Amino acid sequence: MAHHVHNQRMTITAGAPPAQGPRADHALGFVTGGVIGASLTAFVSGCVVGKASLIVGGLVLPAVTGLLFLLVTQPRRAREAAAVPRTALAVIESLEAVEGVASDVPTRFELSVAPDDGPAFRVEVRQSVNRVELTDYRPRGIVVVEYPPDRPWKLRIVRRPTPEWEERAAGARVDSVPGPAMRSESPAGCAGCFLTLLGLLLGVAAVLLLFRADLFDRDEGKGGAAPEPTVSSSTFATSMTSETGTVTLDPGRSMLDEGELRAAVESLTQGADRHGAFTLVAQERLLTVVFAPEGLSGFDPRSLPYDRLPALVEEAGNGAGSRRSWQLTAENVTGSVTLRIVVTGDRGTRTLEADEHGKVLSRSGS
Amino acid sequence: MGWDGFLLLWCAAWGVAALVGYGMSLAGVTKAQRTVRLAGRIERVREPRHGGSRTGGISVVVSYRDPVTGEQVTVTNDGERGEMITVAWEGREIGVSHPRGRPHAYRFSNVPEQPGRGLGWPTFAVFLVYVGLVVLAAVDRGWPWALIGFGGPWAVYAAVHLPATIRARNDHVARLAAMETVEGSVVAVLKDVSVDQDDGHTWTTITPVVSFTTREGTVVTAHCTEKLPNAAEARGRDVTVHYAPADPAHFTLNRSAEQRSRNQDVTFNVLTIVVLAATAVVGVAFL
Repeated sequence: MAHHVHNQRMTITAGAPPAQGPRADHALGFVTGGVIGASLTAFVSGCVVGKASLIVGGLVLPAVTGLLFLLVTQPRRAREAAAVPRTALAVIESLEAVEGVASDVPTRFELSVAPDDGPAFRVEVRQSVNRVELTDYRPRGIVVVEYPPDRPWKLRIVRRPTPEWEERAAGARVDSVPGPAMRSESPAGCAGCFLTLLGLLLGVAAVLLLFRADLFDRDEGKGGAAPEPTVSSSTFATSMTSETGTVTLDPGRSMLDEGELRAAVESLTQGADRHGAFTLVAQERLLTVVFAPEGLSGFDPRSLPYDRLPALVEEAGNGAGSRRSWQLTAENVTGSVTLRIVVTGDRGTRTLEADEHGKVLSRSGS
Repeated sequence: MGWDGFLLLWCAAWGVAALVGYGMSLAGVTKAQRTVRLAGRIERVREPRHGGSRTGGISVVVSYRDPVTGEQVTVTNDGERGEMITVAWEGREIGVSHPRGRPHAYRFSNVPEQPGRGLGWPTFAVFLVYVGLVVLAAVDRGWPWALIGFGGPWAVYAAVHLPATIRARNDHVARLAAMETVEGSVVAVLKDVSVDQDDGHTWTTITPVVSFTTREGTVVTAHCTEKLPNAAEARGRDVTVHYAPADPAHFTLNRSAEQRSRNQDVTFNVLTIVVLAATAVVGVAFL
């Protein structure tokens, strides 16, 4: 701390910490969870299937997110760093130390702070104090404190004041300030952990869903043990995040059978108060619908031309030889719904794109 | 895109980063170039508290002259303030630096520093380009290129640094020989206990604080990093201190151990050269 900092102009001291603190923390936790989930899944699955782009993506994603975060928070950090801290005297109203084995003792202080050039205020802070120095702090004792003028709840007790402030503190008397104390933002509680976990799960789900063709194609080709013949609708989240619904058919049945896919879609959409779909992915015996989060519109998954699907899959598979697997992906990234059908046969892979009425737009293949 | 493509992308990205960094250095806008470096003077050394913590170093009051206002500014080493001051005496000159326009964000260094040019990060980016190129060579032309690529240049680098290491050893030997010997005492013993959050294991660091008076009458207070027998009970014990008259920050309680450690530096440097050169030779042999 320096001599020349105490005669700064007065901005604000009173008022509670801004409310967006915890909310921003929650959002950050959610995004961090999502990035960790997605990048770990991408990296591990990339290593398993030997796909360089997934491995590199898994490594680049957290780096890019971190960089973006730094860039976004740069103006705020610069502003905070430029703020000249203010030094003042304060009286300890109460303190509560949680003594353990460690030499640093986490301590909660309630202080009445009396700045030279502004209204006095009361604040509650947490600070670690060395076990030996703890005896220096007692109720009604005078301490020197330092805080950013615009965020007084970030106050810090100065352990080693300059001689000038040491003298002032020795002879000073500071009056108590009545009323509730300002508090630093409480640490993110259960909701924060839950959102981070949710982000993690969604990150994992997103990667698995986006790259399911790459990740699961090999297994389907082998025709191994059938997965559990169940119809399940799993809900990852409520309110602010998206939901995913999955339907698995019994062995021997196919989504291409008459009415099967439509019935599966209906089973996911009926009853629940769901907004449109974000993405719909259908395979021989598996249907997954990612519903749009609240506030975002999606397409109606029931509106797709399911009656045309067997013919489209047939057409898409032309030239691919005998069909081994197929996948339908429907999404409205560009504003209108597009259907993308990928068919893998023993002579290669063919892709077909169609519009929402089942009209073929393009075909390609390798 | 295969591995080659990604590696080239890696090299290109870091190459661009390096160019940007060198450009910023030329333009004079790197963080190091925007740092004001001043010389401060320790005005007062506060007595260390027996049983206290070593973090934060020895409590000192430092003053320096602000080049903008011409005023004398008094500061203390409270909180995170750069290098920890572990040797202090009244009148010692230390470095004080702060970002331009932000004197409140001051930091200390044990010696006044020369202004830097901020080439550290761009050079690190060049290093990453080099790593990418070596991996690319190893992927494209076979693994011996990894041995050659890493062993060769680093062997040369270590060899270039050998004379400096030897010179440092010789300087150190000369300094040890010129050291004065005085009696000092342990004035306090600092104790830091930290607890592992996972298994509850505790770590204890004991740091004796020695105080000695030089022949010129300067009272030096210093954290002692050398091992003392039964250090926890060392308070009040008399010790023999050897110090360099030119700079009492260079002191030792055990002159021969200091000598040995410098000889080990040279041995380590030579061994490094041999191992790296051998790695490169093995790489060439397997081509």
